[in-house]
Amino acid sequence: MPYLGSEDIVKELKKALCNPHIQADRPRYRNVIQRVIRHMTQGVDVSSVFMDMVKASATVDIVQKKLVYLYMCTYAPLKPDLALLAINTLCKDCSDPNPMVRGLALRSMCSLRMPGVQEYIQQPILNGLRDKASYVRRVAVLGCAKMYNLHGDSEVDGTLVNELYSLLRDQDPIVVVNCLRALEEILKHEGGVVINKPIAHHLLNRMPDLDHWGQAEVLGFLLRYQPRSEEELFAILNLLDSSLQSSSPAVVMAATKLFLVLAKEFPHVQTDVLVRVKGPLLTACSSESRELCFAALCHVRRILRSLPGHFSSHYKKFFCSYSEPHYIKLQKVEVLCELVNDENVQQVLDELRDYCTDVSADLAQAAIFAIGGIARTYTDQCVQILTELLVLRQEHITSAVVQTFRNLVWLCPQCTEAVCQALPGCEENIQDSEGKQALIWLLGVHGEIIPNAPYVLEDFVENVKAETFPAVKMELLTALLRLFLSRPAECQDMLGRLLYYCLEEEKDMAVRDRGLFYYRLLLTGIDEVKRILCSPKSDPSLGLLEDQAERPVNSWVSEFNTLVPMYSKACWAAISSSQVSEPHGPEPSGNGVLSASGSLVLENKEELQPLCDSGSFLLVPNGQLTAEQFEKTWLSLEVAHQEVLPWQGVAHPDTIQTALQVVNIQAIALSKAGVQPWKAYFSAQDGAGCLFLTELLLDPEPSQVHLSVKQSQAKAEALNSFISVLKTVIGTIVGIKS
Amino acid sequence: MIGGLFIYNHKGEVLISRVYRDDIGNRRNAVDAFRVNVIHARQQVRSPVTNIARTSFFHVKRSNIWLAAVTKQNVNAAMVFEFLYKMCDVMAAYFGKISEENIKNNFVLIYELLDEILDFGYPQNSETGALKTFITQQGIKSQHQTKEEQSQITSQVTGQIGWRREGIKYRRNELFLDVLESVNLLMSPQGQVLSAHVSGRVVMKSYLSGMPECKFGMNDKIVIEKQGKGTADETGKSGKQSIAIDDCTFHQCVRLSKFDSERSISFIPPDGEFELMRYRTTKDIILPFRVIPLVREVGRTKLEVKVVIKSNFKPSLLAQKIEVRIPTPLNTSGVQVICMKGKAKYKASENAIVWKIKRMAGMKESQISAEIELLPTNDKKKWARPPISMNFEVPFAPSGLKVRYLKVFEPKLNYSDHDVIKWVRYIGRSGIYETRC
Repeated sequence: MPYLGSEDIVKELKKALCNPHIQADRPRYRNVIQRVIRHMTQGVDVSSVFMDMVKASATVDIVQKKLVYLYMCTYAPLKPDLALLAINTLCKDCSDPNPMVRGLALRSMCSLRMPGVQEYIQQPILNGLRDKASYVRRVAVLGCAKMYNLHGDSEVDGTLVNELYSLLRDQDPIVVVNCLRALEEILKHEGGVVINKPIAHHLLNRMPDLDHWGQAEVLGFLLRYQPRSEEELFAILNLLDSSLQSSSPAVVMAATKLFLVLAKEFPHVQTDVLVRVKGPLLTACSSESRELCFAALCHVRRILRSLPGHFSSHYKKFFCSYSEPHYIKLQKVEVLCELVNDENVQQVLDELRDYCTDVSADLAQAAIFAIGGIARTYTDQCVQILTELLVLRQEHITSAVVQTFRNLVWLCPQCTEAVCQALPGCEENIQDSEGKQALIWLLGVHGEIIPNAPYVLEDFVENVKAETFPAVKMELLTALLRLFLSRPAECQDMLGRLLYYCLEEEKDMAVRDRGLFYYRLLLTGIDEVKRILCSPKSDPSLGLLEDQAERPVNSWVSEFNTLVPMYSKACWAAISSSQVSEPHGPEPSGNGVLSASGSLVLENKEELQPLCDSGSFLLVPNGQLTAEQFEKTWLSLEVAHQEVLPWQGVAHPDTIQTALQVVNIQAIALSKAGVQPWKAYFSAQDGAGCLFLTELLLDPEPSQVHLSVKQSQAKAEALNSFISVLKTVIGTIVGIKS
Repeated sequence: MIGGLFIYNHKGEVLISRVYRDDIGNRRNAVDAFRVNVIHARQQVRSPVTNIARTSFFHVKRSNIWLAAVTKQNVNAAMVFEFLYKMCDVMAAYFGKISEENIKNNFVLIYELLDEILDFGYPQNSETGALKTFITQQGIKSQHQTKEEQSQITSQVTGQIGWRREGIKYRRNELFLDVLESVNLLMSPQGQVLSAHVSGRVVMKSYLSGMPECKFGMNDKIVIEKQGKGTADETGKSGKQSIAIDDCTFHQCVRLSKFDSERSISFIPPDGEFELMRYRTTKDIILPFRVIPLVREVGRTKLEVKVVIKSNFKPSLLAQKIEVRIPTPLNTSGVQVICMKGKAKYKASENAIVWKIKRMAGMKESQISAEIELLPTNDKKKWARPPISMNFEVPFAPSGLKVRYLKVFEPKLNYSDHDVIKWVRYIGRSGIYETRC
């Protein structure tokens, strides 16, 4: 391993670098430097030879220079004082007659990530911007972005920005694109680079000169431009038409997005665009580059959600091949499930049925869930296929089929009978929690038409001690109680046993609580139990309602061609949210909306759960601001939320302060008790550093309190959570007083 | 934009690591996170994009080398993957196959490339030809670099045409045109084509002087979905000779405006090798081989397999490197194979019978029969019969594409179209060529 004996290695390298004989012998010298880089790559800390490497930079050998610069860029943050020694050589190289050397030196100098380098690089960058070689200009332009990045807090230099804007007219295409990139970074806080009409038209004219990367990025920047008139809009679309046929998928995707965004107001244009990109997308979906194929499939799924019939005639393109990687197969199954229509449903189902017996349990389950999705429209055929699968008696297949059945019964009540006939015997082949829960739920809700339902549940009750999943036990309790209502004679005895077990022996508090709840519920009389447990058994409207928000093309255009379609939307929300509390792994979105088993059971769960305050929203204790800071911030912000709450009597500053302290809301200033008007200021901070500033103003006449909250970062979700916390506390204080 | 680029071997050791931006955090953490979560992950790779601690890792695998691009931003996924492919192409152009050994031997060169291709995480110049000016494998000394070379760096990108430099001279003007196709098939056991497509490339190697203007023609009946413009009237006239292309894209050098109006492909080619065109067809594909499988289960411990392959092209042509892979159940204990042609072997480690035939002419038929002995198992699971797959190479284009002409005009230098030596070659290879059984 590279970590062992690294000290010896470094010592040896140092010795070699210092050796004058080696220094004189160029190939040998370079060889030693290569070894240093190699060790650096492997993770050995070779920062202690920094001094010797700096010496090695004074050479005419370009390769050696490049290597040394690479080394310096890596270790400069660790050895800032020594790195300053190298600046001299770098500055000298910046005025070398060879443009390549100038570019290299400037690039390296800008990449030295260490404090204090700014003053040395400013002048070379400015010179570089006016260099006659485009190679140097490219480097210099990005150098501006790097320089700004090093000192993010420093003021934006107006002259530099103007210089960069004027360089947008440079004749070298890469300089132009780099200018956009640099301006975007420098003006990040002001909303990025401004694309006005002259710039937009200039960029449009330069498009053919740019390489693929440049085209893709410029198309992204053009998203900002809002054409003034309809004619201009269509002129732009005509100009960019060729981009939709580019050989680079990245350009095609970027162009598609731009078309969709520009044509926001013209749905028929959007549809036309999606028809035009069908070809390129299908090519990408069947390309040999697996990863691009994956990206394309993700986007196909997104498009299908808005235009379900869009790819229907090409359904065969989405049949899986045996040798394709797993992730592509899973995506294809999802796509197949979305593009069925009357003509192809039989073929698609035949194909999916083949996947159900695939060696990979993941794919098999995904295929089963996909059939379940299709079953919402073509119920009979799908239920038949699923029933046939049960004969295989494979654990993972049976479990997935039963879960699909559960979801299906809820959405399509007409298939209940067929499902209930298929259920007997399944219990022998289900081992996982999800499958068991689904089976138990079905037995509980539709137990009256399954002859042996009580006996199957009895088996579960017998083995409840050995059951490892608390969720299964909870489901069992509910199901048994439900069945008890329809078939009391057969269930009374075992319900008693189960309740006894839950109350006396169960260790899991949630299960015990639910047992206790049911026990008390039964004490109130059978009518009350019926009122609470006999909720509807199906809800066909749910299937129609779900995902409606995702339908219009405009709802997702802004996310097209980003990472959002690649991860699922929920995952992306978790990734991009600034709350650090809950790390979500990417979850397979296999069985649609009803994957959380509990979501189907519409009972009053709230009564069981202790009042949970605000989910994952957390205020951190160290949000202590000084009064001056508070005042400054308060004045600079807009009111984000205002509300009036009922209040009684006079305010007791101490009570309020203590109460809010408990939930980490700090008091900044409070009026004395009894003063009119009574005012108080509070501050709090959440885990992501968002500040919440609050003013309470007591109005004695109608006896109410005015609440105004300001927020340092506009985040609606966090704001709502904060206000609910605040209101809970104020409500509690009022409650105590009355 | 890309925050960093790492190359790993199959064990997860880092061969190359280059960090462009600070936002991806500590270099070591990022490097290790990918190793632990993806390379050493126990289950199959779930997605080519992995999110670890809010950082996205895009990876591409070439043989047993992993290339990973790391970013913290919400980037354009297609572009990052395309960039990784391009990186692979550039490396391959410099030192051939991407293997651990080659990467280790060329690591200085790779660092040089990474330096030029990306700056601050933004893709810069990535054309292999243009890069050659900047990459100094042999370590050219700065003073000794000639004036000419210096001016090249300056003029290269200031010229009107980014992909070709001025003043190229060859004693012999030559042109090589390769039509490379890969034919993909998925066939049902009953011999019904479930899906078939050809993805093809036209690769050109040009060694031409000056700034030549080329014109390329093929037997297309192009059905590129152009808004409103019907193409139906021409289909009858050209008849069987023409082919329908579902989708095609061109190298940047092709003037698309001319293609749209006159359907002629004209361009000034880059020097050396480049991909002129990429296309996909799904209609009227000539399937070079047909596989007819016959599997019979004799009792619980024996399986009889008979596979016939038929070649379906002109008898004068020869297919090469034919390989048929017949999967066998996991509990196979012994296999007896008889084949009329070529060599067949049971490979226990791959759970398959591999049948290889060196050459086979068109309109021929060959057959293999095998008896597979099975160990009795009490596994209830039925054997899932993976498809029979095939590999081959044929000297024609399965899509039917033909090059009709390729003309070269160079107005300034005095050579004409007749002086250029042109070579055209067609190669059809199997992509995923599967027959279910």
